[in-house]
Amino acid sequence: MALRAVEFHILLALAVEECHGYAILQEVSRITDGELDLEPGTLYRALHRMLKDGWVAECGRRSVPTASARAARPEPPGSNEERRRYYKLTALGRRVATAEADRLSKLVSIARRHQLVSHA
Amino acid sequence: MRDRRRTRPDREARRAKADRRFAWWLVWLYPPPFRRDVGLGLVDTLDDRMRARRSGGASTIGTRIPAVADTVRNASAEWTAYVGSAFRRTVDSHPDSPAAPGGRTIMDTLSQDIRYALRLWRRRPGFALVAILTLALGVGANTAMFSIVNAVLLRPLPYPNADRLVAIWGRTSAFPRGLLSYREYAEIRRQTASLDAIGLWLPQSINLTGGTEPQRLVGNFVTGSFFDVLGLKAERGRLFTNEESAPGTAKPVAVISHQLWRQRFNQDERAIGAPLTINGTPLTIVGVMAPPFDADSVPSGGYFVGGVDVFLPAAEFPVPRGLAAAGPTLLAVGRLKSGVAVETGLAELDTIGRRLLAADPNAQAGRTLTSEPAHESIVGTSRPALLLLFAAVAVVLLIACVNVSHLLLARAIDRQKELALRAALGASRAAVTRQLIVEAALLSVTAGVAGFLLGRWALAALIWLQPPSSVPIPTNVPLDGLVLLFTGAVTLLVAGGAGLMPALRTSRLDLGRVLQAGFRRASGTGRRTRDVFMVVEMALSVALVAVSVLLIQSLLAIQQVPIGFDSSSVFTLQFRLPQSKYPKPDNIARFFRSAIERVRAVPGVESAALVRAVPFSGNGGTVGYAVEGRPAPDPAALPQSRVHFVTPDYFRTMRTPLLKGRDFTDRDDLSTPLVTVINETFARREWPGEDPIGKRITTPQTTGPVTVIGVVGDTKHYTATEPAMPQLYVAHYQVPLIFSSLVARTAVPPLSVTNEIRKAIWSVDKDQPVWSIVALDTLVERSRGQSRFLALLLGAFAGVALLLAAVGIYGVTSYGVAQRTREIGIRLALGAPGERVLREVVGRGVMLTVIAAAIGLAGALAMGRLTKAVLFGVTPTDPAALASAALVLTAVSIAATYLPARRAARVDPVVALTEE
Repeated sequence: MALRAVEFHILLALAVEECHGYAILQEVSRITDGELDLEPGTLYRALHRMLKDGWVAECGRRSVPTASARAARPEPPGSNEERRRYYKLTALGRRVATAEADRLSKLVSIARRHQLVSHA
Repeated sequence: MRDRRRTRPDREARRAKADRRFAWWLVWLYPPPFRRDVGLGLVDTLDDRMRARRSGGASTIGTRIPAVADTVRNASAEWTAYVGSAFRRTVDSHPDSPAAPGGRTIMDTLSQDIRYALRLWRRRPGFALVAILTLALGVGANTAMFSIVNAVLLRPLPYPNADRLVAIWGRTSAFPRGLLSYREYAEIRRQTASLDAIGLWLPQSINLTGGTEPQRLVGNFVTGSFFDVLGLKAERGRLFTNEESAPGTAKPVAVISHQLWRQRFNQDERAIGAPLTINGTPLTIVGVMAPPFDADSVPSGGYFVGGVDVFLPAAEFPVPRGLAAAGPTLLAVGRLKSGVAVETGLAELDTIGRRLLAADPNAQAGRTLTSEPAHESIVGTSRPALLLLFAAVAVVLLIACVNVSHLLLARAIDRQKELALRAALGASRAAVTRQLIVEAALLSVTAGVAGFLLGRWALAALIWLQPPSSVPIPTNVPLDGLVLLFTGAVTLLVAGGAGLMPALRTSRLDLGRVLQAGFRRASGTGRRTRDVFMVVEMALSVALVAVSVLLIQSLLAIQQVPIGFDSSSVFTLQFRLPQSKYPKPDNIARFFRSAIERVRAVPGVESAALVRAVPFSGNGGTVGYAVEGRPAPDPAALPQSRVHFVTPDYFRTMRTPLLKGRDFTDRDDLSTPLVTVINETFARREWPGEDPIGKRITTPQTTGPVTVIGVVGDTKHYTATEPAMPQLYVAHYQVPLIFSSLVARTAVPPLSVTNEIRKAIWSVDKDQPVWSIVALDTLVERSRGQSRFLALLLGAFAGVALLLAAVGIYGVTSYGVAQRTREIGIRLALGAPGERVLREVVGRGVMLTVIAAAIGLAGALAMGRLTKAVLFGVTPTDPAALASAALVLTAVSIAATYLPARRAARVDPVVALTEE
């Protein structure tokens, strides 16, 4: 069962810890060294699919740890602007990610045997 | 005054808020399920992304464009998937769980609603039939009418760059839209900077000889530039050039139409180069004109080329001294340069006209040059009539919608029992409302399709009615995207109009309460709603009836206007003598005298005479004159009079009364002094209270004075509705003309002697074609064509509207009575007399009728400007028309309310009280 690349990256990002939307984007960018710069629409389409399939679940809304720039703006009490929805991997999702990672690593060892992988 | 105390953080805060709002709007573009599941998260992330970009230094555009691009890309992909899955049963894609049986898609729900509606209709086919037919009638009439309005008023002329075509007129005080002289055309062509091209043209009957019988064709005398202006091309051979058509350099060439090529030459290539003898002149065919469009689907056959058989060089136009020296002779059409406004062209023409006047004040006296968009000059006069008809069908549609709306509403209320049950079984209010809307939509779509077909059929019927030429409906009304769009839009509106109210009303019903109340008709349609329905329908009907009564009155007025002569049993025909054959006035006079003699000898002919232009044939002329013995008027502003050229016995043939003096005799010819007979209006204008016999006048066209020898009664010449005009009759033989018409009073039906009369003329000259053989009565009737057409149609529409309104009123009143059965039963049981109930119901109806009549009549008056354009002898505020419309409406409404009222009075109290 082959995953789309976008989905696998999202699963990877969520494997570390629960994230909110923008954090996932940032994590994916970091993992791929800036090569995969997802747009929010693309991300959420994938998230929507994975939510329906049960690989990913929402886990409530939490306040984002405040960055220094945001502290400058006074927030009216009770505003939900700085609270984000967090997503986490489900058990099923973790299994899917693991399966895919195994598959890929098998492929990589075959490639290494045939000297296709440059040792970076 | 900018508040300088605003800080950067405040600006940032505002921008951030704007960004977030922007993100909200973007997320709205996604499909509903997507929005439900992850919409809010997406808003957050979009907002975060934009904020990050801003703090990176990007501008508003720089932050928002990527977001928009992202949304467009992904939202469209989501929508595609969403719509796709709506047509498939969705299956829970979890690999471990079985296919979810409860999975529903939109199509499932829709088809269920539709099947339900169809089941209901099968049980009550009457309702469905009435509703669909009523709506189909309205939609059909509107589609037909719109097709016509589209074909005539909205579509541009079928020539390339039609929006730049202008008709150029030579304007005088007598003729706002007059012909141009060749000199004026040449000057305009030389001086213009705003016209791409200008051409002259004039259709006229021509004689084709050389066959077994002389044949009359329609020729169009044109300059080579005419083909340029209209973008006409040759199908075979070539079209002739400006040089070949100009006086002085003209060649004997001709271009034939595709039609003629087919009929006469069987589309043989050898037609090119073949000879053609027109008006006695031998010409050579150099080309066949490619038909630029389907003439049947264009108003007036395309106007410029409609019905034309042969295109001839303008120089061939039969004028005594040749085209170059002649006065205003031909029509002109031009094409403005791209980007030049009509007003600019107008101003330039005015200037050129002034220059011409300065250069040649005698010839150009009183003339200015003007232009108008070609489309306007063709269809402008028919606009009021068409718009009036369109308004009428719109009214019919409105009434139909009101009827059906009430029908649906009543039925929805009736179905409370069933609806309440569904609610009890778990259907949400939304589901119930949705079903009602789907039913209304199904009704409308069916009615829309039926109406569309009905409309096309009605169009055919309308064409069959032969609309007058003043309402130029093409025989083959084209069906284009605009008409389909219109029908679709109307159907949608109808669905909304008819279905919305019932759906809204019903959704507000507390179905639970209805259930508890034991299925009694707890809430009805409400008195106010019923009253509104009735008033709206009646007001619309009365407006329509009032307008049609006005039109009928107008038609009657036109029928009764005296035309000054007896048009019954008069045979007419026209002919034009070829100039080459009859070069001298002597020959012409001899031909005509012999022809009349032979015609008089035909059995059945009581009297015969010649006249240059038969009344009501559309031909005619005017002349300027001056009265002898009075100070000479300004030659640029001579008083104008109609002029007719007649032989002796004309007045007797036409039975125009000779009031004073004498008729022409055979002795009034070229060798005797010029004489004239004038009409009453002329006498009254120039010699009021005196005896005009013996008085003399002069005209620019005659040498020497003309003596008045007689006075005849006023006659109409173009239409029955024209005002009285001064008319001069001149002795035919004193002014030799090659074009003339025969009028003969017959003791038998006029057209039955056609062959004999033709043979009589051919016995004088076997090559002389004759045409326009028609009874005078027919010509006169034709002139009333537009009023008759309008009165007929509008009367029909008013009739339909009244019928629909009557049915509607009946329905509403019946329903209201049924609603109040219980209350009526109680009253009757308590001793109220039956008549009282009857009177009350009818009385209420009458009161509403009065209100409706007031509103409706006010509406009819508001349309006054439109109706005034098509009325004659009647003002839009005519009290008789308004009163009769109100009366008709009252009668109809009383009739429609009487039956249900009688039923109410006869209600059996026992039944009423125990009814559940």
